[in-house]
Amino acid sequence: MLTIFEVASVQDTDIQKKIDYEIRIREGACKLLAACSQRDQALEASRSLLTCNARIMAYMSELQRMKEAQVMQRVARRSSDTGANDDRHPCKGKVAISDIRIPLMWKDTEYFKNKGELHRCAVFCLLQLGGEIFDTDMVMVDRTLTDICFENTIVFNEASPNFELRLELYSCCSEEDYSAGSTPRKLASKLSSSLGRSSGKKMRAAMDPGAGCPISSAGGGATLLLPVPSVAGPKYHLLAHATLRLPHVQDNFRTHDLTITGNEECSYWLPLYGSVCCRLAAQPHCMTEQMMSGALRVKLGGDPQGWTNVYGVLKGTNLFCYHRQEDVEASVEPVLTIAINKETRIRASERDPHSKAQSICISNRYGGEEVTHTLAADTREDTQRWMEAFWQQFYDMSQWKQCCDELMKIELPSPRKPAIVTPKQGSLYHEMVIDTSDDIGTVTDILTHRIEDFDLTSGHGTTPAWMSLFDESPRSPQCPSRLSAHSPGPSPSPGRFRGRRPRSPRSPRCRRTPGLLSSEISLTSDSDSPCSTSPCSHHHGWSETPSSSSSSRFRPRTLSLDAKLTSLRGRGYSSVQRSCQMATSVAAVPRPTQTVLSSSSSTSSNSSSEGGQDAAFSRPSIARRSLRNLRAKLDPRNWLQSQV
Amino acid sequence: MSYIPGQPVTAVVQRIEIQKIRDGDNLILGFSIGGGIDQDPSQNPFSEDKTDKGIYVTRVSEGGPAEVAGLRIGDKIMQVNGWDMTMVTHDQARKRLTKKNEDVVRLLVTRKSLEEAVRNSMMQPR
Repeated sequence: MLTIFEVASVQDTDIQKKIDYEIRIREGACKLLAACSQRDQALEASRSLLTCNARIMAYMSELQRMKEAQVMQRVARRSSDTGANDDRHPCKGKVAISDIRIPLMWKDTEYFKNKGELHRCAVFCLLQLGGEIFDTDMVMVDRTLTDICFENTIVFNEASPNFELRLELYSCCSEEDYSAGSTPRKLASKLSSSLGRSSGKKMRAAMDPGAGCPISSAGGGATLLLPVPSVAGPKYHLLAHATLRLPHVQDNFRTHDLTITGNEECSYWLPLYGSVCCRLAAQPHCMTEQMMSGALRVKLGGDPQGWTNVYGVLKGTNLFCYHRQEDVEASVEPVLTIAINKETRIRASERDPHSKAQSICISNRYGGEEVTHTLAADTREDTQRWMEAFWQQFYDMSQWKQCCDELMKIELPSPRKPAIVTPKQGSLYHEMVIDTSDDIGTVTDILTHRIEDFDLTSGHGTTPAWMSLFDESPRSPQCPSRLSAHSPGPSPSPGRFRGRRPRSPRSPRCRRTPGLLSSEISLTSDSDSPCSTSPCSHHHGWSETPSSSSSSRFRPRTLSLDAKLTSLRGRGYSSVQRSCQMATSVAAVPRPTQTVLSSSSSTSSNSSSEGGQDAAFSRPSIARRSLRNLRAKLDPRNWLQSQV
Repeated sequence: MSYIPGQPVTAVVQRIEIQKIRDGDNLILGFSIGGGIDQDPSQNPFSEDKTDKGIYVTRVSEGGPAEVAGLRIGDKIMQVNGWDMTMVTHDQARKRLTKKNEDVVRLLVTRKSLEEAVRNSMMQPR
C-alpha cells in the first residue's frame, strides 16, 4: 500500500521520464533543424521543436505543482488529522477536437486578380488541455486558400468537466529565396533595396521579429520562458489563440472566436476572419464505462411480492438489468432497462423492518406517467454502494451537463499513411525532370551514329546483343560474361517483334530504313514501355513466345524517372542499350515524350548492371548542340528554326 | 493552303529531290525549317494562314543542295520521302530530314506561286 509520498514520487518519476523524453526529442529536432537544407524540412523540425518546448514547459509546471502539493500535504498532516477527502469529484472524460477550420479574409484584389507576390505562410495549431499538448500537421497557406483546414482529430484522454482547451495558431513566413534567420544584416539591407520594398521589408521584419510586432506569450502558452537553444531556421510566432471550455462542447460544428495577436506589419501575418470552426466533442467516462455493477433484486411484473434476481450494470444514462452476469459480455438484451438521467428520482426506503436490506425506488416520468421500479440489494453495504453510485452518476451528469444527454461520437483517427503530397499541376510533364544531357535528339543521333559505326566495322563478334532485336535469326550470345549478370525480367520484346517478322526483309544488320523500323516499333510503343534489355538472354527465345505478355505494364514511370535520369546522366552516353528504343522516339505517337523518356531511361537503368563496358561513346559536340537546342526548344517564345 | 476542318487538305505541290552532301560527319541539305505542331504558328512569317502549323522553309543557303534542287524560301513541306509533314512536331520534322542513312530526300513542297501558276495556266487558252 503506497503512502502519499511514494505515490507522489512514482508520479514524479513518470513525469521526469516524460521530460527526459521530450528533451531528447528536442535535441534531435535542433540537430535536424541545423542540418536540413530544405525549407519544408526546416519548417517541420521547427514545429516539432516548438511542441517539444511546450510539452516540457507543461511537464515542468506539473512537476512543480505536485511538489507543492506534497509539501502542503505534509504540512497538513502534521498540523491536523485530515480525514478522507469528502469532496465528490466528477468523473473524467475524453475530449476530442476535430475538423478545425479557420477562415481567412484576403483582400478581394489579392484573391481574385492574383496580383502581388505570393505570400506564403506555414501554419499549425497547438492544442493544450491539462497536461497534454498536441499539435496538428503543418499547412502551407497562401492567398489561393480561403480557409485553413486541419484534418487532424486530437483526443485528450483525461479531461475534467472544467477543462480549458487552449488552441494556439502558430505561423511562420515562408519565402522561397532565403531563410530569415541566417541572412546577415548587411546582405539583408542590400537585398531589400534590390528585391523591392515590400519583400525587403518583410525580410527585415522576419529577421527581427521583436521589432515590428508584439509577440504575446501571455496566458498558458508560455513557450518562450525556457532557455531555448537558439537555432537558426524558421521560427514560428503565435498568430491567434482561443480557449474552449465545456459550454462549447456540442455534437456538431460550432464557430468560436479567435483572439488575434500580431498585426499586419509582422511577417507571419495572415488575414484571419477572427473565428475558428471546429467540432468539440466530449465523452465523459460515466457515459462510456460501467460505473457500477452487481447483483440486484428487482420487482417485476404484477407480482407485488416476487423479486427477480438480475445483474445490474449502471452505464451512461441507463441501468441495465441482465438475467445473468455473462449476458453482459454476450450482448444479450437486458431484461430491464431503467433510465437514469437528470429527471430520475431515486430514494432509498425501509421496506421491512425485519429484513436488513433497504430497497431503492427509481422513478421516471415517461410521457405523463410516473413509473417506479423497486430494487433491492442483498446487503446493506451493497445498497449503500448502489446509492453512492447513483449519487455519483447524478453528480457527474450535473457537471458534464450537455455531454450526458447523449453519447457523442468521437472518431479516432485510423493510423493512415501520411497523405502523399500531390503537386499542384496534374500534368505528367511537370513532374518529369529533363536533364540537359538527356536530350532525346542527342540520343537518337548517337544511336544512329552507333549503328553506322557498327555497320562500317562489321564483324560478327562485336555485334551487341540488342541487334538481335532487329534481326530474324537468333544469335549466339556474343558476350555471355557481360550479360550474365543481367537479371532477365520478363521480356516482351521478342514477342513484340515476333509478329512482324514476315514483313521485314532479312538482313544481318539494322540496315532497314528507319522508317520501316519505326513502323514496327511504333506500334509497340504504346504497350510496355520498360522494354527490358535482356535480348541476349532471350535471343534463343526469339522464336518462342514469352509466356508473360505484359500488356498492362505500361505506366508512366515518372516517380522512378528521376532516379533513372540521374543514372543516365552519370553514365554519359556510353549505354548502347538505348538503341532498343531509338525507333520509338522516331515514330510520332500520341505520347511521345513520356514513352520515350521512360523507355529510354528504363532501358539504361536495366542495363546499368552491364557496367557500361561498351566503348565510351562520348560526343561532346553533340552534347553542346543538344544543350542549346534544348534550351531553345523549351523557351515558348521562340519559333524554332533548325538547320538541316 | 489553309486548313478547312472536315475538308481534306489539298495543295498543288512540286517534287523536289535533294541530294545530301557530306560535310565531315554530317549530311547536310542546306536549308532551315521552322514550324511544327508544338510551335507557335503566329510567329511564322511565311505562312498565309497564321494558324498553319506546318513546316516551312525559312532559309536556303546559297549554292547548297536545296537551292540547287529548286527549294525556295517560304515553301511549305508537305512530305518527306513519303512521310507526312503537315502534322509533326518540329523535332520530328528535323529528324525526318536528317536521317543519316539516307542520301536523298524527296520532298513535296507547296507554295503560293504554284497555285497561281496552275490557275493561270488553266485560264489561258492553249
